[in-house]
Amino acid sequence: MLRAISVSQAFGDELVFQNLSIQVDPGEIVAIIGPSGVGKTTLLKILSLSLEPDDGSIQLDGTDAWAVDESDRLAMRRRIGMVFQEASLFDASVARNVAYGLRIRAPWSERIRSRMCSAAASFVHPFERLFQYDGLWPERLRAGVQRILRMDSPPAAVRESLAVVGMTHKLNQRAESLSGGEAQRVSFARALAYDPDFLLLDEPTSDLDPRNTAVIEEAIATASDQGIGVVVATHDMNQAQRVADRVGVLLDRGITEIAPTEVIFENPSDERTRKFISGELIY
Amino acid sequence: MTTQRRTFITAIGAAAAAATAGCSETYSGGQSTPDVAGETLTLTTTTSTYDTGLLDAIHPQFEDMYGVTVDAVALGTGAALEAARNGDSDVVMVHARGLEDEFMRNGYGVNRRDLMFNDFVIVGPADDPAGVQGMSSATEAFNTIADAQATFVSRGDNSGTHTKELNLWEAAGTDPGGDWYQETGTGMGEALNIANQQGAYTLSDRGTFLSQRSEIDLVIQVQGPIEGGPELLANPYGVMAVNPGVHESTNYDLAMAYIGWITSPEAQSAIESYTVNGEQLFYPEAVSENPDFQQYVPEDWNNDTSDT
Amino acid sequence: MPVDVPVQLLQLGADLPFREGYISSIIYVSLYVSVTAVVLSTLFSLPIAIVMGFADFPGKQFVKSVINTGMGFPSVVVGLAVLFVVSNQGPLGSLDLIFTKQAMIMSQFVLATPPITAISLAAITGVRENVRDAARVLGGTRLDVALVVLKEARYGIATAILAGFGRAISEVGSVLIVGGNITSADGISKTRTLTTAIQLEARQGQYDTAMILGAVLIVLVLLVNGIVVRFGDQGMQR
Repeated sequence: MLRAISVSQAFGDELVFQNLSIQVDPGEIVAIIGPSGVGKTTLLKILSLSLEPDDGSIQLDGTDAWAVDESDRLAMRRRIGMVFQEASLFDASVARNVAYGLRIRAPWSERIRSRMCSAAASFVHPFERLFQYDGLWPERLRAGVQRILRMDSPPAAVRESLAVVGMTHKLNQRAESLSGGEAQRVSFARALAYDPDFLLLDEPTSDLDPRNTAVIEEAIATASDQGIGVVVATHDMNQAQRVADRVGVLLDRGITEIAPTEVIFENPSDERTRKFISGELIY
Repeated sequence: MTTQRRTFITAIGAAAAAATAGCSETYSGGQSTPDVAGETLTLTTTTSTYDTGLLDAIHPQFEDMYGVTVDAVALGTGAALEAARNGDSDVVMVHARGLEDEFMRNGYGVNRRDLMFNDFVIVGPADDPAGVQGMSSATEAFNTIADAQATFVSRGDNSGTHTKELNLWEAAGTDPGGDWYQETGTGMGEALNIANQQGAYTLSDRGTFLSQRSEIDLVIQVQGPIEGGPELLANPYGVMAVNPGVHESTNYDLAMAYIGWITSPEAQSAIESYTVNGEQLFYPEAVSENPDFQQYVPEDWNNDTSDT
Repeated sequence: MPVDVPVQLLQLGADLPFREGYISSIIYVSLYVSVTAVVLSTLFSLPIAIVMGFADFPGKQFVKSVINTGMGFPSVVVGLAVLFVVSNQGPLGSLDLIFTKQAMIMSQFVLATPPITAISLAAITGVRENVRDAARVLGGTRLDVALVVLKEARYGIATAILAGFGRAISEVGSVLIVGGNITSADGISKTRTLTTAIQLEARQGQYDTAMILGAVLIVLVLLVNGIVVRFGDQGMQR
């Protein structure tokens, strides 16, 4: 369970929120809605263990993240994945982007070995065509070359997570040549690839067209089916209604109400929630 | 003791010494190798000396003899002596007697030997606008050039040549200055090129002029002493070892071996036979039946005065 | 007209008055000294550029102005400073570095570091912050994030390295002072580089020969630039 307990955060003189508590369990999808600038991103940063709250604590499976030393916290952080509003992919191929999380979790000897493999493979790559012809080469040479090329192919986890977002066909394409929607899907796969326990998404579909939005929402559902606890920050209430099990409303420097989706949208207890959802609150 | 017996004992002593000499040397395959083998001697000298190619021509003999390497570093005269003062070189070879004397006086150098000499020549454009062709006095030629305000190119870099030029102006009693007097701050070859382009006069060492002659149109206006010109244009070279008392780390053994070799009849003869474009460049001075004692001390050192 | 000059130079090249092995030995010394200096400088500069790019520390502005001053620092002054240090009289005198390739590497190191640092710094700060955040939040240690940033900034860093190499290999004054422009008696270079060889020829008034050596130097620089750029393009596939 990922849990924020009475956290407060201010930037300079400006208080963002105080005394905020929220939790997410494995397999559940929690949406956080609220107007722009209310602090959704800040809350996600705190939940991702990147930002230490001014007050309060944040616990992963009962352990206070900021009460332990950096290496333990790193291990905790590595159980969480995050997708931002902007895809922020690296200047490399799709496969290498998605493999990033796996790569950094591997021991250094493994990382160096795979680096050398890809160097060897990129050397051999231009000649790949030549080696497809039978009988032209000694069999051992051909087998060796093909082994090098195979060793360099991305791990299964990469293909699997790309399959979740429907992007396996673009495995070797350069990230900068992708469209916005495609990039965001790859970004999702990147966060999924190393099998995190929790996934945080900050306005993941704000910039996307309906088709890509649908793909992401399906992927969110798949992730939660796999037992991942998902937190989605969004200003799109319809999306919250579509995907979430529970919805939290972030307003007035705190969570005014948090309840199962149907309750929030049909029968909220807080007047402010009702006003926000009906669009009466003007900010 | 009678003379005969004394001679006999001396002979036995000498024989014994010769017989046992082989025991203390390193023995390798029947040939004994000098202890300095494999070392490097750093020699600093002037650019004009280096540019004649003499050193590259004669050094191999010394290098083979001792199994060593000579690093010849061509710097300006001043820099060559400064490097020696700092202990960055082991032996120094320059042609600026005044500076050499100062070097010795201050205790930086020991065992100065006269090495060789050549001379300077005053060169200028073929049409000789100042009218100095064939003059037998260098100072008169300089004054004539100054009076005519004919363009004159000076090295301006405190090199041996530049120092000589300044000494000549001083001896002539003229202070050069004005548009016609151009200080370039370059090497001799470049200075000759500049003088050539401007149709100007300049003072050059014979060696550099000879090697450049095919490229430029300047001619010799006033000869140096080698061809019968005034003594004032002589250019003597000296070689000194850096004083190990000042810098312990200098390779004194090898420096002395070098000086010993280069002042030997064999090396001196090699210097004599060195030619550029078919002409001899240097005249050996180290070997003589009547050695000049002045070579070992500063020029104005006097036996009667107590020198500090 | 443009065809005449190279043809003339080629003809001259055929009867260059050099002993066998002279030109290849001075090319070797040029490359050995400059490449070593640039490699060492890169290993030194990149961590500094990363720290400057990400962290704030007291005196950061001061370091920045030192780097910028270093970019335009006259190289002869650097040569004098290195001479002072490695001379027999200086603090490192006992290491016997005067008139060696190592002293030349030292001075080229000092000259190449400011441009490599400054240009790398510009490239590194140009990396978008959200890419850095992504690398961190996906589980990266500080080292992982630094490596990601270096990789993102790789073209700028390659430019920086080439700029440093350019500065190093065209160096004359300082390598002359600390190296001594030495060759063996049979013409094999010990501390003579292409640039100091050009200076030697020019000082002797042999301008034609100097120009030919200059052409060799330019070709060499073009080759190195070409190789590095090609290397970078290879990475494009991945």
